[in-house]
Amino acid sequence: MDGVHDLGGKQGFGPIDVDEVEVPFHADWEGRMWAIAQCARSPDWTIDWWRHVRELIDPVDYLSRPYFDSWAQTHIAAFIDSGELTLDEIVSNQSAAIPANQQPSQDNEDIFAAIEAQAYRFDREIEAQPAYRVGDRVFTRQLLPRHHTRLPAYARGKPGVIHAHHGAHVFADASAQGNEIAQHLYSVVFEAGDLWIEAGNRKDRVFIDLWESYLDPAQD
Amino acid sequence: MTSFDPDAVSKIHRHLHSHLPSESALRVKALESLLVEKGLVDSATIDAWVEAYSEEVGPKRGALVVAKAWIDPGFKSRLMQDAVSAIDELGYLGKATAHLKVVENTATIHNLVVCTLCSCYPFSILGIAPNWYKTAAYRSRAVRDPRGVLEEFGVDLDDDIEVRVWDSTAELRYLVLPQRPEATQGFSEAALAKLVTRNSMIGTHRTLSPGSEG
Repeated sequence: MDGVHDLGGKQGFGPIDVDEVEVPFHADWEGRMWAIAQCARSPDWTIDWWRHVRELIDPVDYLSRPYFDSWAQTHIAAFIDSGELTLDEIVSNQSAAIPANQQPSQDNEDIFAAIEAQAYRFDREIEAQPAYRVGDRVFTRQLLPRHHTRLPAYARGKPGVIHAHHGAHVFADASAQGNEIAQHLYSVVFEAGDLWIEAGNRKDRVFIDLWESYLDPAQD
Repeated sequence: MTSFDPDAVSKIHRHLHSHLPSESALRVKALESLLVEKGLVDSATIDAWVEAYSEEVGPKRGALVVAKAWIDPGFKSRLMQDAVSAIDELGYLGKATAHLKVVENTATIHNLVVCTLCSCYPFSILGIAPNWYKTAAYRSRAVRDPRGVLEEFGVDLDDDIEVRVWDSTAELRYLVLPQRPEATQGFSEAALAKLVTRNSMIGTHRTLSPGSEG
């Protein structure tokens, strides 16, 4: 999706607040929202669907509202979509349902176990051999899917070199549509001068993790 | 059942845009109270999650990983080869770190980590990401003008130092291994860990010093 979330290389954004106070949460509601997202979700959401729901927020809101506010809107929208909540309930702030069995409270020990259990793996065994080896030259495709994708706009149609092969991983584009398909995943390195017209011979590189179907072999 | 239909969700977002209270705190409160009413979450559990990420799960974990790598060559070698197993030795494997790579700063290389598409971050070893990491300013500029970004953070790099920017587009997460500060021979692991800043593990701080605590 060619949305405002795809920010790499966009110009006009100002200085970074380098003096931000180093605390995990800057307001109570941020911590509450983070915590809700850790323990309340619909069983058939995928991480990629959740990211896509966030990308679909109105672009002006996406850029202007606080970060964890976008998590609230993402969670609310995704819950409405999957049927756990209704728009009326969220607007009236009243549940229409008969209270279900309450979840048992979790204590700190349970939380640490839960954090460890969130070490979700995305690598999968597949039969297909990787199409590329480390050192191969590739071109990224000029893909413009309407749905969620992880090929950033700034890296479309660019020459790169395979830096590492990570095995096959769950393909984000399909996962965002509810389908689990695995593809070989590579770290691809791009010279700054191939990405940015003003970079010239600057000695910088950008490394991007890209699935095989984002790539074509470079023509000799 | 989830629709996986972006048009359906766009419509929901438009309704929410018109109907949700403007204040973020009220939005989150409405969500939490509804989920509690429906038995989908429990408020004491929410409290426990907030506490975990306010105290234990934060950059001090990453700092200990770095300090251990400086002191123990065997651990460093395992960390560079297989960071997932290495952090598991310390009990730090968890959210968003099941596919972790460590990238090492040297005299000629500086590493910088970003997520241009959202805000991916190795939570179980660095905790909650700073706000600036999630802003449009950092996400847009880190890949295009890394030296300008670094300069804002007070990092002045010679032209002959290569900047490597890691854009976390898949489920791999990156941790920068900063260089050990000079004049720290004989420091204990705990003393060294105190010198490691959060930003140095993201790459927006380069030169640590025995006086750079904080």
